[in-house]
Amino acid sequence: MIRLVTIISSRWTRLVLVLLIVQSLQTTLFSDLRPFGVAAQIVLLFVVVAGSLYGLGIGALTGLIAGLMFDMILPTPVGLSSLSLGLAGATAGLLIYFFNEPTWWMRLIAVAVASVLGEIYFPIAQSVVGLDGWLELRVIKVALIVAICNMVISPLAILVCRWTLSERKSAV
Amino acid sequence: MAAGQSTRRRAIILLILSSIILITLDLQSSSSVSSLRSVFGAVFRPIESTSRVVTRPISNAWHGIFDYNEVLDENDRLREKVAQQEGATIAAAASVRLAQELLALNGLPTLAGINAVTTQVIGDSPTNFAQTVEINQGSESGIRVGMPVLNAAGLIGKITKVYGDRSVVMLITDPDFALSIKVINTPRPATTTTTIAGSNSATPSPIVPLDPDQTLDSAVSTTTTTTTTTIAGFTPSVTTLPAAPSGVSSITVPLASDLAVRETGVIEGRGPGRQPIVRFIDNSLRFGDIQVGVPIVTAGGSRSLSPPDILIGSVSRVVERLGSAGPVLEIELVADLTNLSFLRVLLYQPITEKVTP
Repeated sequence: MIRLVTIISSRWTRLVLVLLIVQSLQTTLFSDLRPFGVAAQIVLLFVVVAGSLYGLGIGALTGLIAGLMFDMILPTPVGLSSLSLGLAGATAGLLIYFFNEPTWWMRLIAVAVASVLGEIYFPIAQSVVGLDGWLELRVIKVALIVAICNMVISPLAILVCRWTLSERKSAV
Repeated sequence: MAAGQSTRRRAIILLILSSIILITLDLQSSSSVSSLRSVFGAVFRPIESTSRVVTRPISNAWHGIFDYNEVLDENDRLREKVAQQEGATIAAAASVRLAQELLALNGLPTLAGINAVTTQVIGDSPTNFAQTVEINQGSESGIRVGMPVLNAAGLIGKITKVYGDRSVVMLITDPDFALSIKVINTPRPATTTTTIAGSNSATPSPIVPLDPDQTLDSAVSTTTTTTTTTIAGFTPSVTTLPAAPSGVSSITVPLASDLAVRETGVIEGRGPGRQPIVRFIDNSLRFGDIQVGVPIVTAGGSRSLSPPDILIGSVSRVVERLGSAGPVLEIELVADLTNLSFLRVLLYQPITEKVTP
């Protein structure tokens, strides 16, 4: 019983529940609002923020879990966005790794760079499995707009991500 | 701390391996992956519906702020277009009806005989790397994977995923989209004309006398009467043709070379913002030069997922290629894929896909 309560109250359970809400916002609000014809990617934002806050390992793990959940609603093969988001989370963690005490603007730059790379990883993964036609110059425009959108929303994402992934002492 | 990192590393490796295995299984259309998606969908859909209701005011406010002028301009454009097309629609409807009656008379399949489900678009693709829309009808309404989807203008895509109460439509512009089509080309006007003495020389088509032995100076005025056969839902009418002014009873037969020539190819999407292309067009002399503006319709056939003669678009550019390779055609779609609302799914399955009980 204690073990079950520990699992339920763990940050990973919290992560899955928060990701369900983030994903539902992605498929509704953020699919509808398309600045310059590009959908902002808040699932990607959540992953890169996790990477920039908690490092490479947590970033990769968050990306893999978020991607696997996102794959379930995408028309592309299951596992594809899991790998690309896992890589994006790891990239964000890696960018911040070399700074001892990163400032807020360093994190912001890391989020922007990881967002650009994360958005490019997906069409690359599509090409690897034979889904051609997406790896074109348009990807650069898409990645830049996604990065700008992510930079704007990142303060809110940092708050949510901190709340979700912080380790708390169990009351039990 | 070290134990935690080791567990995390193991979890990462496990998830990466799972992802690779799932990609492999899904690319082979494994049913286990489909069930996994369905289970996840059952959990996720209520959350998504709640989000949609909660975020609708934000979405409406966004569109109100950023799209207001665009909507006004579009309204003006559409009003003008409606005025232009009102007359043409009546003529077109009559032609379509005539064509359908002719097809029915000859026992050929028509679109009128195919059941359809009207549906509404409820969501766009959440990613920037898939050209899909989600609709609010699924397998409960008889929709199956592969069925063609139309809007009022023409074909817009096909069903690629079906759930109980919703489906995913892959748009024509998606790079994974491919469908066999027909190009209806109008050959160059014939240079030879047949003229019979005494007939109206201004008539462009050749005139074939009904009775070759009949003399041209015959004083008898003849009248030809045509009566149509009875078809369900169609009132028979009698058409009386006036007597030929020259006294020669005649019928007009167009030259075979004046009839529209059809050639098949495959339409392929090229991503958002780029026009789809048609490939594998035969470079034959009979087909002639393809002109810009000629219509593109679905080819149909026992293996095609779509019935014949659904309008897709028109040729906007012809890219000639060297050697015997046929040209590549760029297609301007009749349907506006950026503004989809109500769609029609044709409950059509080719004979090869139908499961016999």
